[in-house]
Amino acid sequence: MLASAKRLWAHREIIFTLAERDFRAQYKQATLGILWALLSPVLTLVIMIAVFSRAKSFGTEGIPFALFSFVGILCWSFFASALGTGGNSLLSNKALLAKTQFPRECFPLETMGVTAINTVLSWIPLVILFVIFGRAPAVATLWAPLFMVLEVAFAAGVTMAVAGLIIQMRDLVQVLPVIISLGLFVNPVIWPLSKLSEPSVPKFVLPLYCFVNPLGPVIDNVRRTMLLGFEPNWYLVGIATLGALFYLVVGYRLFKRLEVSFADIA
Amino acid sequence: MPNGSIQVEQVWKRFRADLTAPLFYDQLKRLRHSIGPGRRNYRWVLKDINLEVEPGASVALIGINGSGKTTLLKVISQVTYQTAGYCNVRGRIGALLSITSGLHPDLTGRENVFLYGTVLGMSRQAIRKKFDEIVEFADLETAINRQVKFYSVGMQMRLGFSVAAFLEPDVLLVDEVLAVGDANFQQKCLQRIGEIVRQGTTLLYVSHDLASVEASCDRAVWLADAVIQAQGPTKDVVRMYRTAVEHNAMLVTANDGELRVLKAEVKATDGGQIRSDCDVEVILTVNARESLDGNFFIGVSQGTAFPMFVVYQHGTLPEGDFEIRCVLNHIPLPKGRYSIWAAMVGSKNSPYMPWNPVISFEAFGPDQFRPPEGVMILTPIYVKADWQVN
Repeated sequence: MLASAKRLWAHREIIFTLAERDFRAQYKQATLGILWALLSPVLTLVIMIAVFSRAKSFGTEGIPFALFSFVGILCWSFFASALGTGGNSLLSNKALLAKTQFPRECFPLETMGVTAINTVLSWIPLVILFVIFGRAPAVATLWAPLFMVLEVAFAAGVTMAVAGLIIQMRDLVQVLPVIISLGLFVNPVIWPLSKLSEPSVPKFVLPLYCFVNPLGPVIDNVRRTMLLGFEPNWYLVGIATLGALFYLVVGYRLFKRLEVSFADIA
Repeated sequence: MPNGSIQVEQVWKRFRADLTAPLFYDQLKRLRHSIGPGRRNYRWVLKDINLEVEPGASVALIGINGSGKTTLLKVISQVTYQTAGYCNVRGRIGALLSITSGLHPDLTGRENVFLYGTVLGMSRQAIRKKFDEIVEFADLETAINRQVKFYSVGMQMRLGFSVAAFLEPDVLLVDEVLAVGDANFQQKCLQRIGEIVRQGTTLLYVSHDLASVEASCDRAVWLADAVIQAQGPTKDVVRMYRTAVEHNAMLVTANDGELRVLKAEVKATDGGQIRSDCDVEVILTVNARESLDGNFFIGVSQGTAFPMFVVYQHGTLPEGDFEIRCVLNHIPLPKGRYSIWAAMVGSKNSPYMPWNPVISFEAFGPDQFRPPEGVMILTPIYVKADWQVN
């Protein structure tokens, strides 16, 4: 696995170039061009506020619901669109797959790169929300990059595994969107993670949940630090780190094992 | 092993059995089958391939469609992996397996140069340095800032090849990419490939265009039905290949038309060997089911179905067995092996006899003059020349 990682590093320019290709092509013929990368999250935000401000929430630990859920959605949407586009990345790059020899993981990673750029841009409207509610992000927000690294590792592992499996089992193409939309509710996007530490829930559920779904504690901790100004919950972050590493290693190995047949059956 | 060498040892490659079952019911049936004892079918596309190429050599892979040429190229370039065996290439590989598949239609020519160059294995810095040369070679001028989807197919080809032409790999693998593009550009490509080879790059070249193979490769490998049929100097292997193609054509075009050739003979009119510039007589014993009216064609080729020239005669043939004699005066052939093809076509273009080979012969005489490097000769013709420099 180290050898593959080394080979991947040698081909890092390809990832950047392919990401640039997709990013440029995405907005090429739109009149507003790259402005859309900023505009579409604003539109989402408007819809979010319109819909969710009326909904009775699950308790938001004293945070305005729009802010609470928008932060959750931003974290979640990176994962969702990384998996959505990355999972299909080998299929959508079939032509290159059958004609070139660079490491195959460049494709899922490249789409993650595009998603990452779009996500960073989509954090900007969050500023609007902060202004509306007369708040400011806490100093503890500086921990955010750590959580982003965790999320990227988790997403990379899952995306590579799915991208590889999809070549073998095309049925996944149909199932994937369903699973992704389900994820919006499995993750603590519109409910707080503290729900799982209530006395009615067995003790082992929370750590197990954090290991199986590292994105959960990531979302929770982004909120803790950015909106409430608390220290990260190191216990949960630790479990999430283990989980994310597990997904990354297993996903990469699985991908490498399946890679042999990509060019033949894609 | 020095840089630029290719080593292929006992490589086998199979593809999984064809999957033609999109429906659930079919899948279930397949599942039931596969549970049974060892019912998996594979198609073997490479069987026990051994190949060694030393640095700087230029080697052609020839063979009919489906003989495994492209698969071998893909295995060597590590686009796909062999099922068994050992394959090692030292140095940087430049694989030109398809000339336009790396291009993105929505991006401009300029953006595509960087995209395709990186995909082929160049660093961005190297591309930036070579950018002007690439654009000039592609002959695109201001179109370089236009989206590639508005390019003509020819322009896309030129762009694709030009990027690859400045790749500077240790091993260059080219798969049948020059067949398209106009004559000018083809010539330019061949010249560029010749240049690359002279710089010491190893070339592995797949093509059906035997003329270009002869122009740019000193060694050839003939693949047939997943095995290497022959390898050696280009001229010899190409000749063997042509003979086999001709032989196949003779088998395929079993006589079943209105007109059948029963016997064929070819000889010099003076009774000696067939030599360049001598008169050659072709004698065909044929059988006609009925009286036929139309054009009778005779052509001479290098073994393939494409003749170097044809002659024809309009006439009415009687029913039954009879002989057709035709004298070809001063045949302009250099030394080599040739075959005679014949056909008969009625007045309404109805074929009485399909175009098929009837006999082959060996011509003696001077060798074809070698053209300048990178220039290919389409048809070997021997012409006596008188020179004068004033």
